[in-house]
Amino acid sequence: MAIGVKVMKRPTQQTSYLRATLKGMALTFSHLLRPKVTMQYPEEKSSKDWTLSSRWRGTHRMLTDEQGRAKCVACGLCPQICPANCIKLVPGEDEAGHRYPLIYEIDEFRCIFCGYCQEVCPEEAIHVGVHYENSEYSRDRFVYDLERLTAQTHPVSTLWDPSDPKGE
Amino acid sequence: MADGMINLTIDGAPVSVPPGTLVIEAAKQAGVLVPHYCYHPGLPVAGVCRMCLVEIEKAPKLQIACATTVTEGMVVKTQTAPSKSARQSVLELLLINHPLDCPICDQAGECELQDFVFQEGRDGTRYGEYAKRFNPVEDFGPDVLYVPNRCILCTRCVRFMEDVAKEPVLNVSERGDRAFIGIHPEARLDHPWAGNVVDLCPVGSLLSKDFLHKARAWELDKTASICTGCSQGCNITLDTRDEVVVRVRPRPNLEVNRYFICDHGRMHYKWMNRGDRIEAPLIRRDGELKATDWDEALDRVAGILRGASGTAVALVSPGASSEALALAKRLLSGFSWTGAFQVVMGEEAPLPGVPNLALRAERAPNAKGAENLGYSRDYARALEAAKTAAVVLVLDDPDCAVEASGALIYLGSVLGADAPCRRADVILPIANVAEEEGTFTNCDGRDQRYYQAKPAPGMAQPAAWVLGELTAALGLAELTR
Repeated sequence: MAIGVKVMKRPTQQTSYLRATLKGMALTFSHLLRPKVTMQYPEEKSSKDWTLSSRWRGTHRMLTDEQGRAKCVACGLCPQICPANCIKLVPGEDEAGHRYPLIYEIDEFRCIFCGYCQEVCPEEAIHVGVHYENSEYSRDRFVYDLERLTAQTHPVSTLWDPSDPKGE
Repeated sequence: MADGMINLTIDGAPVSVPPGTLVIEAAKQAGVLVPHYCYHPGLPVAGVCRMCLVEIEKAPKLQIACATTVTEGMVVKTQTAPSKSARQSVLELLLINHPLDCPICDQAGECELQDFVFQEGRDGTRYGEYAKRFNPVEDFGPDVLYVPNRCILCTRCVRFMEDVAKEPVLNVSERGDRAFIGIHPEARLDHPWAGNVVDLCPVGSLLSKDFLHKARAWELDKTASICTGCSQGCNITLDTRDEVVVRVRPRPNLEVNRYFICDHGRMHYKWMNRGDRIEAPLIRRDGELKATDWDEALDRVAGILRGASGTAVALVSPGASSEALALAKRLLSGFSWTGAFQVVMGEEAPLPGVPNLALRAERAPNAKGAENLGYSRDYARALEAAKTAAVVLVLDDPDCAVEASGALIYLGSVLGADAPCRRADVILPIANVAEEEGTFTNCDGRDQRYYQAKPAPGMAQPAAWVLGELTAALGLAELTR
């Protein structure tokens, strides 16, 4: 060896790993006795300590009136306000002369979940939902049509605190 | 300042107007829009809406700007507290029975009630506990629906039918808060110019059935154009949404159509959206028409024109722009040349209240322009001449029953599957009136420009571009007339 390496002589209690290992294991096993914090998703989806916020903005839901028809009157404000341009709307007229959407489709892939559609809706028809489980087997299933939007049952977002609507 | 003019001050701005001018018109010159409903420059003054109340110095009370004529040294104030509060009160009263159904109202976005309430109306209503008056929707005529709930009784429609169309079928029925616009029980609103009441209506009370629920006002792109329905040459606005023409509205031109267009012109737009268009140049190769690019197609036409001599016939549409017609003439200037067009004739329908305004019998926009350029109306003789001509050029006339022994060149936007022009050697796709810029000459010889409202489909190009390329290829571009 060309270079001489000086090896320090240390006492055994400084070079043994035993003490540190026992200390670490003591911490590990002490966790067995502490309260459990892991939520058992998907069996368990909320607990008393944790739920989705009521202001969560997830996939949409269209509310219906007493007759089960969509509340939408096809005013065209949501496709106008939508920053992602993900709402397709074609207005029509039913037998009673009421304006209603012939086609109402939301592309949930394109949607950025800003909630403007719910905020602008004068009829309180379209809502963003408190919902996050959206998996599907094909991409085209992510264009939600009117039938699908009205069939959703998850709660809708409140967007703002009703007791403090201006956020003061 | 000119002699005989009256000088006054409106909101601090000095204005000089001819005597007899109304304050509301003088205010427009000062750049002040006095809010109003019943006043319309094309109709007699009624003074019923009380919306245009303004303060005039030395006048004891507020005056309505639409029925007060200007006087020398008048000082008008539109933004003072009394006039503002008067307008706010009028708006509050108008909204007592207004259904506020803007989300489903076709007028939303271009509604004067919406605009002015947003501008200076009250925040809330003080009449919340009273039920609103309700009347069912009425069918007034072929293209007009009346929604009485939205009506603010400005009587513009009544005055239009009475004083301009001179067919007084509308009136104000009942009184007070029960009043509504009534129609004669045995009459329909089917005057050929009746559609104007829809444009005149400041709110969404009179609606066009054709436009009902079709588009929202804020989605429309507006392009200045000229009506192609007849030779009157009314100035119009083409409203397009997503590159589809959805509505035609009049564009004020005091010299031609004032503020109006007829129902024929109003409905004369659907053909502009036709889907069965020629989208690529077609040339005959081994006896069959094949799609090709512009270079080859133009080369082929130039070759045909260079190789031919003798007589040439141009069968043109009186709906083609003057530019295209002039270039077609220049293109054939090397030949012994005949040009002709045919005009579809219809019934003339004048608007009695406006001199020299009618739906003309000649149902084509540029017949006068074609005539000025030397095209003849003798279509039958031109068809006869086409049989022996060396070259026949058909410009945008899909139903042309041409029989040509020489070369046949067709420029057009559409062509039926078994039209005679299918036998052409070359078919060149051109843009229609909504897809190009050009000029029409109306029946009084007035040249009017129209602009492009939507893109042409496929490879179609304006006829003037196609013919211009061809004249340049033949070295005729520098030729003076």
